Amino acid sequence: MGYYVLSYVCMAMFVLASVRLVYRQWTLPLHVRWEIYPVRHETTARVAYGGSYMEEINWWSRKRESSLVNELKYMVPEILFLRGLWKANRGLWLASFPFHFGLYLMIATFGGLTLHAALSLWGAPVSAGGGLLRSLLDGFVVAAGWLGLVLGSLGGLALMTKRLLDREWRDYSSPADFFNLGFVLAFFLSALAAALVVDPWFTGAKGFVCGLLAGGDAPPRTALGALTIVLGSLLVAWIPLTHMSHMFMKYFLYHQVKWDEAPNRRGGRIEAAVRKNLDLKPTWQAAHVRADGCTSWKDIASSTPGETK
Amino acid sequence: MKAARRPSDLAARSERLCHIEPGDMVPLPPPYEDFNRVTLPLLKPERVKGIETSLDDTVAIGIPRPASREEEDLLVRKFLSGLKKLFEKKNNWTFLQPLLLSMEHCARCQTCADACPVYEMSGRQEIYRPIFRSEVLRRIYRKYVKPGGRIAAKWNGDIDLNWTTVARLAELSYRCTLCRRCASVCPIGVDNGLITHEIRKLFSQEMGIAPKELHEKGTVQHLRVGSSTGMNPLAAKDNVEFIQEEMEEIAGFKVEIPWDREGADILLIHNAGEMLAWPENVGAFAILFQAAGLSWTLSSEAVGYDAVNYGLWYDDVQFSRVAVKHADIARRLNVRKIVMGECGHAHKALTVTADRLLTGDLNVPRESAMVTLADIVSSGRLSLNPRRNPFPVTLHDPCNMVRSMGIVEPQRRILRAVAPRFREMTPHGVDNYCCGGGSGFAIMSGYNFADWRNLVSSRRKFLQILDAFADEPPEAPKYVCAPCSNCKGAIRDMIGYYHGEERSGLYYGGLVELIVNAMSDMKKPIIQFDGKSSWES
Ligand code: SF4
Ligand code: SF4
Repeated sequence: MGYYVLSYVCMAMFVLASVRLVYRQWTLPLHVRWEIYPVRHETTARVAYGGSYMEEINWWSRKRESSLVNELKYMVPEILFLRGLWKANRGLWLASFPFHFGLYLMIATFGGLTLHAALSLWGAPVSAGGGLLRSLLDGFVVAAGWLGLVLGSLGGLALMTKRLLDREWRDYSSPADFFNLGFVLAFFLSALAAALVVDPWFTGAKGFVCGLLAGGDAPPRTALGALTIVLGSLLVAWIPLTHMSHMFMKYFLYHQVKWDEAPNRRGGRIEAAVRKNLDLKPTWQAAHVRADGCTSWKDIASSTPGETK
Repeated sequence: MKAARRPSDLAARSERLCHIEPGDMVPLPPPYEDFNRVTLPLLKPERVKGIETSLDDTVAIGIPRPASREEEDLLVRKFLSGLKKLFEKKNNWTFLQPLLLSMEHCARCQTCADACPVYEMSGRQEIYRPIFRSEVLRRIYRKYVKPGGRIAAKWNGDIDLNWTTVARLAELSYRCTLCRRCASVCPIGVDNGLITHEIRKLFSQEMGIAPKELHEKGTVQHLRVGSSTGMNPLAAKDNVEFIQEEMEEIAGFKVEIPWDREGADILLIHNAGEMLAWPENVGAFAILFQAAGLSWTLSSEAVGYDAVNYGLWYDDVQFSRVAVKHADIARRLNVRKIVMGECGHAHKALTVTADRLLTGDLNVPRESAMVTLADIVSSGRLSLNPRRNPFPVTLHDPCNMVRSMGIVEPQRRILRAVAPRFREMTPHGVDNYCCGGGSGFAIMSGYNFADWRNLVSSRRKFLQILDAFADEPPEAPKYVCAPCSNCKGAIRDMIGYYHGEERSGLYYGGLVELIVNAMSDMKKPIIQFDGKSSWES
């Protein structure tokens, strides 16, 4: 039962920590524009060289065109295959891609196991006529699981070697960085060992996930299985507390900064947010600012600087 | 002298943290090998007496050394109070979200390092690595601002905070041109240029520490006198009158430069430096706008005739004051749009960054001159003879116009129409390299900073320019087109420093000059190479 409780608690922590991170982003004040081109939802003609809608004469009088397809064409290879890294740092890509793809495949494997468990528990009529579906799912779990574990372990080992041996990396790595990478690597290695030694067809994993869904209490049957469950659960809780949350926080870095080029139109949503910001009262101390905690940004921006010394 | 290896070394007291030896920097090709033995001239002891010089071989700000331990501690406390404010909504709504995201998600993968021209050209001096200064700020923030930071410091990456750390960090924030090339390659989207910008802001807005060229002689003078050049409205009008006469000589017809015309379609704002250093640029705009039949005006109100906004580089408050003034002048003149002259940072400041500052009728539409000019050229309203520009031309892309604004193609459309021997630099467009004068460096020359700029931050651009003209004979005149006053300043200085005119026939100028030079109805060429007509070159 303890293993299940640990997994439930860790998953709850993941959800809470992630919601907190995301909520914090949504509630931050609207910032000034600071985009970098190419902005990937630009039109096909412009995205090819990094142009913007501001290249049009009287751009404000035209309908702003943007393309979700272009954005997806960039995002999907970026998320799945780390395309940016492939272009800018091929050597690192060789280690980073298997590591990240291994993690994605772990998530996919867990998804497959969850679907399998749901079908087993509540899908009797479906599965009765769904032998093929069941076989496909079994095959998917085993293939994704093995591939993910091998790629993740190799990538993790390569990254750890680089962090330990490459001076450029080592000098900028804190004990926390080594711990975080070591943690993920330990999970991959223990899960790989479990698959190799005791659970090559992921039968034990299926049983555990079934138990997770049904509130079961069957403990893992092997020490390696138990270790993998403990490490996997703790890792899930740990990721959003570290910089590894870039896995999903990258959304905000891209969509709310790098590609946020939405213009401020009179009477629009952006203008309303700007007006709110301009009512804030700063407390910067330099004499030229003339902030006293009572004067708003709006008033300060319309004033002349105070003494400079 | 101990070379810095790690961010924590910034705190260790020493005479100098980084020193560039001759031969450290990326070598220059013939005929510039003699510069490979050159390094920065030593700072003169009498000039830097009492000034913080412990970072490297140059000085950008010139921070007075505190007189006592108590004074040092007070300044460190001020620094910390400023640092806290960077993470507060009321103090830093302008950049809070981008800053938080960049502070929290760097994976220290070093992908950005190879993209940085300063780091690369310096011979990979550790302190110029893009994440060096970010990591210093991150560690100080985590240790001294976040709850429980001191206990967790050994775990998260430690650093000591003392006056040495603070003073060196201030100087170090002026060894990055804010070109954001590093940010464009970061797989996560972290922006080290932005972190540098925030460090500068903390020092300016909390401690009143900024290079005098940007602050006292920059934004303060701009707001008080009317222009960061020191020109008051009367002097600006006088200069333009002189330019008008010069242009009539070149054009062979009457050229009008209208002032303060209410209800005109366009308010054109130049970088006022053009009026003094490159008057032909201001004149060429007038010739073109007149020939195209545009309804336009200049403003003679203080601030309104100088498009610069140095606040963009170091201080949000000063930035806001200048931007509001520009917009308010346009509002009162009741123009349809503001057209930004050839000045990259002014483009970005008023068009992009100030877009979320200007509300209601202050939100006057803003357009890049590249766009207005491309429209004029493609409309057929000018009679152009591109054979009048027979010399090779390459284009420098100002970072603020290209990477930060996506204005890439209009200037190329123009060049394809007026400069038959136009060739690109490698790389170009949004992947361009900074001229080395970005973020204020072009106008900063105190102590030996201009030498640092020419040798280190402009070196990559100089190599690119040489490369673009590698197939041309050295004596043939070549034109580097830089549609930005600050870039032009940096390019002028690098050509002068390396004797590029004598050794490689390098000349430089803006874009409008090339268009006017190709106009069939001009009496004389507006572009001259060493006093000789460019039409026959
Ligand atoms: S800023 Fe980006 S590219 Fe540079 S080390 Fe951090 S994550 Fe890597
Ligand atoms: S902004 Fe430019 S100069 Fe500054 S660290 Fe990044 S690449 Fe280097």
